[in-house]
Amino acid sequence: MPLRPARRGRVGVIRAPIAKTAVVAKAVTPGAAPVARTAVVAAAVKPGRRRRI
Amino acid sequence: MTEQSLDELGPVDYVVVEFPAGASNFTGEMASELLALVDSGTIRVIDILILTKDENGAVEAMELSDVGELGELEALEAQLAELLAEEDVEHLAAAMEPGSTAGVLIWENLWAAPFASAARRSGGQLIANGRIPIQAIIASIDADDALTTEGE
Repeated sequence: MPLRPARRGRVGVIRAPIAKTAVVAKAVTPGAAPVARTAVVAAAVKPGRRRRI
Repeated sequence: MTEQSLDELGPVDYVVVEFPAGASNFTGEMASELLALVDSGTIRVIDILILTKDENGAVEAMELSDVGELGELEALEAQLAELLAEEDVEHLAAAMEPGSTAGVLIWENLWAAPFASAARRSGGQLIANGRIPIQAIIASIDADDALTTEGE
């Protein structure tokens, strides 16, 4: 790996192997159904929305 | 770093953005958006690495300066802090698919620093943080809708 020498032999900051997150792009990519999904999510986080508890 | 500057440090985050084989389309748009965030004082870029994982799972890491013509990113590259260590590379690459390339970006959220400092001065301490995936919001809405339908 052609990394700079300063990166070698140091303790890392990413403590463990990371897991792949769900690919968000698939949920919000424009298209027939996902567009509707995007609108729904936008509505869910709009200012003034109150939870029903 | 002095005690005072540590107190004023904003939260530090990272992302790993994967480009599957054949899917990359670099137009300079990402660099422009990143620089806009830096120029507006929203973030400070701490470190950048480019990772590649071959079909056999072997990982290689490159410095941003090794990419070649950096264009707008040249000034940014000179300010990087090289926070990531060699041992971080394998941990970050664990999420990558074979045959892909990924950009790793580490940044300080300058926008959050004043609030974080105020919280600390007020006696508060961070005990949890995280990100809510869009999928979780969709699932919550679906469950909410299902309950509403059942109640009708």
